[in-house]
Amino acid sequence: MCSFNKCVLLVLCATLTLVQGVAQAASFVDVLELPAKASALAQRSPLLDVTRAGERLVAVGQRGHILYSDDAGQSWQQAAVPVSADLNAVHFPTAELGWAVGNDGVILHSSDAGVTWNKQLDGREIGALLVRHYGALASAEPANEQWPLLVAEGERLTADGADKPFLDVWFADAKRGYAVGVFNLILATRDGGQSWTPLQDRTDNPQGLHLNAIAFTGDALYLAGEQGLLRTWDAEQERFVAIATPYQGSYFGVIGRPGEVLVYGLRGHVFHSRDGGQSWTQRDTELQVSITAGVLDDGGRYQLFTQAGHRLLASNGQTALQILPQQGQSPVAGAVLAGAGALVLVGARGARTLSAE
Amino acid sequence: MGNMKQDTMPVIAHLRDFDTRTGNLLERLVFNHRPLFVVLMALVTLLLGYMAVTRLEMRPSFEKMIPQSQPYIQNYLENRAALRGLGNSVRVVVENTEGDIYDPEYLEVLKQVNDELFLTAGVDRAWMKSLWSPGVRWTEVTEEGFQGGPVMPDTYSGTPADIELLRQNINRAGIVGSLVASDFKSSMLIVPLLDKDSATGQGIDYHQFSRVLEEKLRDQYEFAGGGALQADAEGSGKIKIRVIGFAKLIGDLIDGLIQVMMFFGVAVLSAFCIILLYTRCLRSTLLVIGCSLMAVVWQLGIVSWLGYAIDPYSILVPFLIFAIGVSHASQKMNGIMQDIAQGTHKLVAARYTFRRLFIAGVTALLSDAVGFAVLMLIDIPVIQELAITASIGVAVLIFTTLLTMPVALSYVGVSAKAAERALIIDAHATQHRGLGKLWDLLDLFTTPKWATGAVLVAVLLGIGGFVVSLQLKIGDLDSGAPELRKDSRYNRDNAYITSHYALSSDMFAVMIKTGPEGCLNYRTLVLADRLAWELQQHPQVQTTVSLVNAVRQITAGSFEGNPKLSSIQRNQDMLNYAAQQASVNAPELFNTDCSLMPVIAYLADHKAETLDEVVAIAERFAEDNSSEDRQFLLAAGSAGIEAATNIVVREANRTMLLYVYTAVIIFCLIAFRSWRAAVVAILPLVLTSILCEALMVYMGIGVKVATLPVIALGVGIGIDYALYLLSVQLHFQRQGLSLSAAYKNAVAFTGRVVGLVGITLAAGVITWAWSPIKFQADMGILLTFMFVWNMLGALILIPALSHFLLPAQAQMKPIPADGTVPAKRKTEAVT
Repeated sequence: MCSFNKCVLLVLCATLTLVQGVAQAASFVDVLELPAKASALAQRSPLLDVTRAGERLVAVGQRGHILYSDDAGQSWQQAAVPVSADLNAVHFPTAELGWAVGNDGVILHSSDAGVTWNKQLDGREIGALLVRHYGALASAEPANEQWPLLVAEGERLTADGADKPFLDVWFADAKRGYAVGVFNLILATRDGGQSWTPLQDRTDNPQGLHLNAIAFTGDALYLAGEQGLLRTWDAEQERFVAIATPYQGSYFGVIGRPGEVLVYGLRGHVFHSRDGGQSWTQRDTELQVSITAGVLDDGGRYQLFTQAGHRLLASNGQTALQILPQQGQSPVAGAVLAGAGALVLVGARGARTLSAE
Repeated sequence: MGNMKQDTMPVIAHLRDFDTRTGNLLERLVFNHRPLFVVLMALVTLLLGYMAVTRLEMRPSFEKMIPQSQPYIQNYLENRAALRGLGNSVRVVVENTEGDIYDPEYLEVLKQVNDELFLTAGVDRAWMKSLWSPGVRWTEVTEEGFQGGPVMPDTYSGTPADIELLRQNINRAGIVGSLVASDFKSSMLIVPLLDKDSATGQGIDYHQFSRVLEEKLRDQYEFAGGGALQADAEGSGKIKIRVIGFAKLIGDLIDGLIQVMMFFGVAVLSAFCIILLYTRCLRSTLLVIGCSLMAVVWQLGIVSWLGYAIDPYSILVPFLIFAIGVSHASQKMNGIMQDIAQGTHKLVAARYTFRRLFIAGVTALLSDAVGFAVLMLIDIPVIQELAITASIGVAVLIFTTLLTMPVALSYVGVSAKAAERALIIDAHATQHRGLGKLWDLLDLFTTPKWATGAVLVAVLLGIGGFVVSLQLKIGDLDSGAPELRKDSRYNRDNAYITSHYALSSDMFAVMIKTGPEGCLNYRTLVLADRLAWELQQHPQVQTTVSLVNAVRQITAGSFEGNPKLSSIQRNQDMLNYAAQQASVNAPELFNTDCSLMPVIAYLADHKAETLDEVVAIAERFAEDNSSEDRQFLLAAGSAGIEAATNIVVREANRTMLLYVYTAVIIFCLIAFRSWRAAVVAILPLVLTSILCEALMVYMGIGVKVATLPVIALGVGIGIDYALYLLSVQLHFQRQGLSLSAAYKNAVAFTGRVVGLVGITLAAGVITWAWSPIKFQADMGILLTFMFVWNMLGALILIPALSHFLLPAQAQMKPIPADGTVPAKRKTEAVT
């Protein structure tokens, strides 16, 4: 016989079927307007970067996911994020203040250690930003041919809409920071993101190559990108100046510490310099797969990770990197040193923890 | 009982004493021209037999098993041509049981299998994929751009270096989990099939295709040319061939059908034994079987003439028609035997029987027909065809069993010994000996103690059954192909493939329909991504696949594989490039003019709750996001179709029960003209229906297309018993007999027949329990249960309930004395 709970279901289904027949004009909500959905799956879904906010870990990923963990990656909470654009990078200069950047030219800011976020900028405003900034310079220096070109670039960006992703972000302190992205997209702020200034004119990148990463090694600020691009901030010239590297493929990241810098990228290429980029040593990996993340572990050694999930260790005294065995590897897009020597990795399958050996 | 008949029909020992002008028009028409009638029947049988032999075909049609007018199904049927990924393909897995795929011997076999399939008629060669397909390629981002090549090295010659290169290519191509098993012990060939054979323009013969797979691949490689001894066996050699896909499933279903047809022989044999035991008269037993087989021949002949084919459902009909035919024919024989034993001439006895039983037979067949007719209400073509073919069968029974049987008996008669025996049995019954003891036992149920006990037990069973039946599930509960048994070769292959490859075979697809080029619109892709994400939130959704996955991957690829660009970019040029690449790498993800793309959710199971919940998620999303130029349409994929079927089945189950019970109640009220009697007749059926659902829960059978007809038939045929018994009992009660005496008479008169009918019907379908087709086995078990339990319910509960509801003749409405309804004729007539 029929049971009543099933009857109720039936009625529901029938109603749904009826409702479906009625066409409604649904309005499309843009990813820049649609808040990220809370989901238990977020920590197992693609995450693209992870950083530390004091003792807390903060990770960002696709669909506007921002997660934070207070127990070195054992458990994660999802932050309230006003957009559902894919987020590519996150950085906290202090334990409380942080910035995240991503697709559609979005820049988000948190002042509560990553629990809630608000939008400071998105791609729809960047073109106007360029037009305003370089337009003012053009009227100030009519003789300089560079400004009209950059104004035109801004107009092109406006026409294209919010389609230029930021790929990395770095803040020196609560006020000063940079966001970089594709096609030489680079903005700087001196007021904690209240206002942003284009830096295209202060970056040696005439071909408009992608800027994949920005990182500070303790004594120098580096930009790494497409086709062997490496730039460092020259405080005197107030611009990012070129550094020659021995490789024409792309770099996906740069790390280092005072006195040395290491760049890594396409098809297992890793180069190491101990003289600010004057000379380079290739660190051999024997891998054909791209290196997409790197971290300095608590022993001060470089650990690098690949798109296929390999874990590489740079031991002092050896040029070749050593592949560390591990169980179950999955692609890595970001890595961070968590408490007690453990590493937290993020990538296509979410977050995972590598405990200290 | 004998007395009763003698009241109305005088014993006439010689034909010259019989007035051939008596009897109604039909009787005179048939019996006064017996030779002509016999010749006519023989001719019709020959003609229809010829039709059946030449035109009957087995054609299990997938489309007919799905509810055609359900909105989801209509969406699916409208867009089916555009759904290549969900289309008709076969997946063949070649497994190396003694190593892995990096074995030259294995790769050689794989190559042969590949070539064999490539040349098989009906295969859409251009889209076939395997390790040996040149189209299966690896790509890699290098400093100069993309670099790639076929996974199988062009120069492969089986050297260790070639194998090493293959190993490298497989890893680079990212086909582990799709074309190569995650344990590297097997690899897959994806074989898409054409809708129509390009050479002949005909639809693919699935049975033929399935046989090719069995003979050319499995027999040759898995059984090393030896051939499978059993259809379900697995080879023990080095290579195993596993095949899943719709074509293979249909092939296996047809093989199962052929096997079920063999069961018909068993059903005939068991009916023969039962009748022979009952009558101990060989010639009349043969006649009963013969007339029933004639009904089956007619039914099959007419059905094939009308262009219907045998499918796994309608094959039920010959079994039922045969069983119903046997039970009616044995009643004819029973009646004639009584009269002949009294000394009546066999022709006169036949005419008497015709007079007594023709109206009765038609009435009983009508009540069977109600059960069948109600099935027309279910919007699933196979069930409607079942209803039509069964109605034809029931109509045919009027000619074969109700007319031909008495005419034939008028020639053949019954053996004198059997006739004598019938009298002795009657005598025994009245003397409380032999079978009489059983009838006495049943009579006890009219006494207060036994009646109370029986009703109490029934109530307890009813409550218990009801509680259990609350857990009754809709749909199929096991994994794999629900049409076949869980442990069938097909489902074992399916389980192997599901556990060694990434994607399950339960696909639930939402179709996104746009204008041309609409699928590579940024908003469409973002919405598809959101839908996929919503679906993924359900714990039983393993993963989702749509064009978005390809777009994200290709976009990242065009940025040198940078994972941060695994995204949907707003830039239309970028999306166009991604779609163009996807049309090469993953053409199944959207149609040619890019106006339809499915979002496919791979489900961990196809339980009804899972499907309902996934449907609810998709419905909500479709409602919120469908617009003029972009519609989200449910549902395609095996799980989508099953979800739609479940919705229809759930509804049909309820309406069908409502209709069949309404019909039966009206029937009872007309027949008995007493609501109390109707209650007595109906309650045992209700108990059977409840217990049947409890049995389904116990046996893990869900309510599905196959169980719907069972429930209707169970009630429709079950009411026969009540009609047989109760009408006689009421007749005697109305004549003034006590309940006990009336029931005793009723049992003696019809109890045997009720028992016989219950047993022959059950014997007709119980063989199905061994069918390799799961739903047929379920139908067989449930029908057997319903036939037997209805019989027991009638014999035990009718007296017990009568004790409470029909205790004394005082409550019976007296029959008008003017004889507007000839009470005796009528009561006898009902048997």
